[in-house]
Amino acid sequence: MSARRAAKAAEIKEACPRPSLWTALLNAPYVLWSVLFIIIPLVLVAFYAFTETVNYYDIRFDAGGEHYEYEIASVDGDTTITLDEAKEKALSMAGVDAEAAEFTVATLKNRMGSFTLDNFKDVFSAGSLTAMRLSLVYSLAATVISLIIAYPFAYILSRSGAKSQRIQMLLIMLPMWMNMLVRTYSWQQILENGGIINKLIMALGGQPITMLGTSGAVILGMVYNYLPYMILPIYTTMTKIDTSLLEAADDLGCNWLQKLYRLILPLSVPGVISGLIMVFVPSISTFYISQKMSNGMIKLVGDLIETKIKEQWSTGGLNVGAAMSFVLMVVILICTFVMNRFSDSEGGDVVI
Amino acid sequence: MKILSKIVSILVYVFLYAPLAVMIFFSFNAGKSTSVFSGFSFRWYIELFTNNRAIVECLMNSLKLAVASALIATVIGTVAAIGIYRLKNKYVSGAILTVNNIPMMNPDIVTGVSMMILFVFAGALIGLTERVNFTTLLIAHITFNIPYVVLNVLPKLKQSDPRLYEAAQDLGCTPTKAFFKVVMPQISGGIAAGLLMAFTLSFDDFVISYYTSGADYVTLPVYIYSMVKKTVTPDIYSLYSIILIAILALLIVYNSILSRDDVKRDRAPKKSKKIVALALVAVMVISLIACFTYGGANVTVENLVGTYTTDLAGTELNVYNWAEYISDGSEGALDVVAAFELLTGINVNYSTYESNEVMYSKIKSGSVSYDVIIPSDYMIARMKNEGMLKKLDYSKITNYSFIDEQYKGLYFDENDEYSVPYSVGMVGLIYNTTMVEEAPTSWSALWDPQYKGNILMFNNPRDTFAIAQQLLGISLNSVDKAEWDMAANKLREQKPLLQGYVMDEVFNKMEDGNAALAPYYAGDFLTMQSINPDLAFVYPEDGVNIFVDSVCIPEGAQNLEAAHMFINFLMEPEVALANAEYICYASPNTAVVNSDDYSLKGNEVLYPANLDAIKKEYFHDIDADIRKYYEDLWVSITTEQ
Repeated sequence: MSARRAAKAAEIKEACPRPSLWTALLNAPYVLWSVLFIIIPLVLVAFYAFTETVNYYDIRFDAGGEHYEYEIASVDGDTTITLDEAKEKALSMAGVDAEAAEFTVATLKNRMGSFTLDNFKDVFSAGSLTAMRLSLVYSLAATVISLIIAYPFAYILSRSGAKSQRIQMLLIMLPMWMNMLVRTYSWQQILENGGIINKLIMALGGQPITMLGTSGAVILGMVYNYLPYMILPIYTTMTKIDTSLLEAADDLGCNWLQKLYRLILPLSVPGVISGLIMVFVPSISTFYISQKMSNGMIKLVGDLIETKIKEQWSTGGLNVGAAMSFVLMVVILICTFVMNRFSDSEGGDVVI
Repeated sequence: MKILSKIVSILVYVFLYAPLAVMIFFSFNAGKSTSVFSGFSFRWYIELFTNNRAIVECLMNSLKLAVASALIATVIGTVAAIGIYRLKNKYVSGAILTVNNIPMMNPDIVTGVSMMILFVFAGALIGLTERVNFTTLLIAHITFNIPYVVLNVLPKLKQSDPRLYEAAQDLGCTPTKAFFKVVMPQISGGIAAGLLMAFTLSFDDFVISYYTSGADYVTLPVYIYSMVKKTVTPDIYSLYSIILIAILALLIVYNSILSRDDVKRDRAPKKSKKIVALALVAVMVISLIACFTYGGANVTVENLVGTYTTDLAGTELNVYNWAEYISDGSEGALDVVAAFELLTGINVNYSTYESNEVMYSKIKSGSVSYDVIIPSDYMIARMKNEGMLKKLDYSKITNYSFIDEQYKGLYFDENDEYSVPYSVGMVGLIYNTTMVEEAPTSWSALWDPQYKGNILMFNNPRDTFAIAQQLLGISLNSVDKAEWDMAANKLREQKPLLQGYVMDEVFNKMEDGNAALAPYYAGDFLTMQSINPDLAFVYPEDGVNIFVDSVCIPEGAQNLEAAHMFINFLMEPEVALANAEYICYASPNTAVVNSDDYSLKGNEVLYPANLDAIKKEYFHDIDADIRKYYEDLWVSITTEQ
C-alpha cells in the first residue's frame, strides 16, 4: 500500500468512524473461542511448567458399615510404596482388619503439586539447548528457502490464466492431502544411500552421496511439508497487483529489479509475513520430519518434548514437556516480534 | 522470461510430486514392501477393494471431520479476521493475533495433551465417562484450523480498499449488503486459500487427533501412525494413490470441459467460489471411492470351543490394541473383530496404539474407558501396581486352558489374576549376509568399525540401552545408576558408527540392503526375510530381551461381560491361529503351536529348539527415578554432536 493511499485510507477511517459495536460483535465469537480453547489450555501448560506432579494412592474401602477414604503418598523419602503397602497403611491408619475391609477404589492418581522451577533445569540442560539451537537454525533455513522458492512461483502463478490459477491452487495443496508418513517414507526411498537419486548417480558413473541422515535432509523435509503454506498467502496477495501497474512501470522504464523492489515487494508484504509465520512456527516445533529424515540422529526440541511427555506421563514428563514448550513459545514470540518490526519498516501495517 | 517461468513452475511441481510418484510406484508392488519392487501387480488394490473394513471406516471419519472442521473454522476465522481488521486499537488487535498464533506455536503434542486435559476436566464436571469423543475432536481441529484461515484472510483485507466499502454505503447499501457485495469479493481468494489449508491440515493431523479422540472415532492418520512399530502396509499406498489419481483426473476433466471459460471474464470474484466447489467435488470423489471399495471379508469361525451368546447384542465394547496386531481379514484371512461382532452382535470399537507408554497415558488421563487392552509385561506390572487393572474372571475364559504352562505365572502376574498371554517375542540381531561375511554371535557386531555407517539401533532408550547392557553383562532392570552410565558410555562409543536410530524404517532399510546390521523383533525378521532372502538372524549369546503381550481389562471398563467373552474368543484355536499367522510373532497358545495348519509350526526363529539355552531377560517396571535418569542419558547421547 503506498504511503499516500494508506494516509488517505486512515483519513477516511477517522472521518467516518465505524460503529464499534459491530467490531466488538465480529470479534466476540473468536475471542470467546480463543479463551476457551487456546488461553485455558495455555494456562494449563503454564501451570504444568511451574509445578511438579504429585502421585498418590487413592484408597477407599468399606468396613463395618463405615466408609473410609485415604490418600497415601506414593513415595516415602527414597522408597517407593507399592499398592499393597499403601492398602496396608490405609488399613492400619483406620485401625481396620484386612479381612473386614472391602476396597472400592485403590489406584495411583496424580495431581498438580506445588510450585517449582526444577522443570526448567531439564530445559536448560546441554542436550536440550543443543536441540533448541538446531531447531531454530533449521527452521530459519527452511523458512528462507521456502520464501526463495515460493516467491517467484507465487508471482508466476498470479500472472497465469484464471482457470489455471484455480487448478494450480489445488495442485499445490494436493500433495499435503497424502499421509505424512507415506510422503516421508517416499522421501526416504529417494534419498537413501541406495535410493533413487544415488541409483541415478551411479548409473551415470558417479559416486553415491549420503543424503538421508544429514541436516540437509531435515531442512528439505521441512521445506517440502510447509512450502504450500508459503506459496498460497503470497499468491493471494499478488493476485491483487494490477497488471496495468506493472505495464505502467515498464513504460516508465523500470527494469525488473526496480519493478520487484518498488512495486511487487511492497504490495505483497502482508502475504509474505503470513507465509513466514506459517512455515517458521510449525517447523520449529516439528518432531516427526526431523526424526525420519535424519535417521533419528538429529534430535530437535519437538522430539524431546514428544518423548518426555510420552515416556514419563505421570512422573514429571508432562511438566518438563510443558516447560520446554513454554520456552519454545518465548523464542517464537521473539522471532515473530522481530519479523513484525521488519515488516513495519517495509511500510506494511501488519501487527503480529 | 516466459521460459524461465515455465522452468520454475515445473521444478516446483517436480519437487512437490516426486515423493508421490514413488508412492504410486510402490502401490503396484507385488511384494509386501514399500522399498523393494518385486514386480508389477494390482495385489494391494484388490486387497483394498475386498478387505478394507477398518481403512475405509477411518477414511470416512477423516473426511467428515476435515470437511466439518474446515467449514466451521473458515466461518469463525473469516469473521475474526474482519473483526481484527476493523479494530482501531493496534494493541488489542496485536494481542488477538498473538493468541491466534499460539496453536501453531505449540508443538502438536502439547496442544493435543493440554486440550485433552481440559476436556477430561470439563467432562468430569458434567459427569461423562467418555470424556473425549467426536465433539472434542472437532473442537480441537477447529481450534488449530482457525489461525490459518485468519492468516490467509487478513492480508487480503489489508489490501482491500476501504473506500469502496464506504462508497457502497454512501450509495445506499446497508453495511451487511455492502459487506457481501463489496468486501467479500475482495477477500474471497484468501478465504478459499484458508479453507483449503484448513481441510488439508485437518485431513492429515495425527498427534492432536490422537489425544482428543475417543475409542469409537479413529481417523486415518491416527490409524496409520500407530503402525510405526511394524511399518505401513502397501495397501495404504494404494489407497492414497487412488485418491491422488482420482483428483488429478478430475482436474483434467475440469480443465477440458470448461475450456470455453473466458480468462478475462471471470477474474477474482468467481474464482474462489470455483476453487471451493472444485475442492468439494474432490472430497466427494474420495468418499465415492470409499463407498465402492467396501468389501466383505472372511468372518466365520468354523469350530468354536467356547460358548458365545447373543445376550449382549447391541452393547459397545472398546478394544485398544497395538496396530497390526490382530488378523484383519487381509488376503482372505479371518477378520477377527468382524467375526466376533457377527457371532455375538456386540459392537466393537477397535482402536490402536504405537507403544505401551502412549496406551498408558491415554488410560491414565481418564479420557476414555477401554474394556480390553493388550499391554506388554512391564507395563502390566506397572498398571497392576497402580491399581489400573481389573482381576479377570477365569471361569469365563474357558480357552485359557490352551495357554502354554511356561507363559503362566510370569513375574508380572505371578498368580495369574490379571492377564492372558496373547503374543510372545524376542529381540535378535538381523544381518545382511552379503555385507556381513562372518555370522555374528554377539551384540558386539554392532560395535564393529568395519560396518561403520551400516549399523542401526532402536530409536527408544529402553531397547537401545538393553543391547549395551546385555553386551556388558548388566541387568536390563538395573537400579544402579553407575551401571546405566556404563551402558551410556558404550552407546556413546557406538554412535559414530551408526547409520541411525530407527523403528519402523528398519523394514525398508534392511529389505533394500541399505544397512548391514540391526536389532529387531524375531517375527518382524521373518517379514523382512520374505522380501530380502539375504537377511539372516541370530539370538546373540550375550542375552536377549523377551516380551509377552497379554490381554487385560483395565479398571473402569464398562462392559465386563463382553470383555471376557472377547478375550475367550481371542484364545479360540482358530482365531489364535489366524492372529499368529498375521502377527508373525510366537504364540503362547498350544492349540496354535501344535496345529498342522500353522505355516510357522516349528519355525527355527520363532520357536528355537534351544530356547532354554538362550539367555533371556524380561523388562521390569523400573522406578520413576531410574527411568528419568536413563531418559536424560538418552537425550544427552542423542543430542551430542
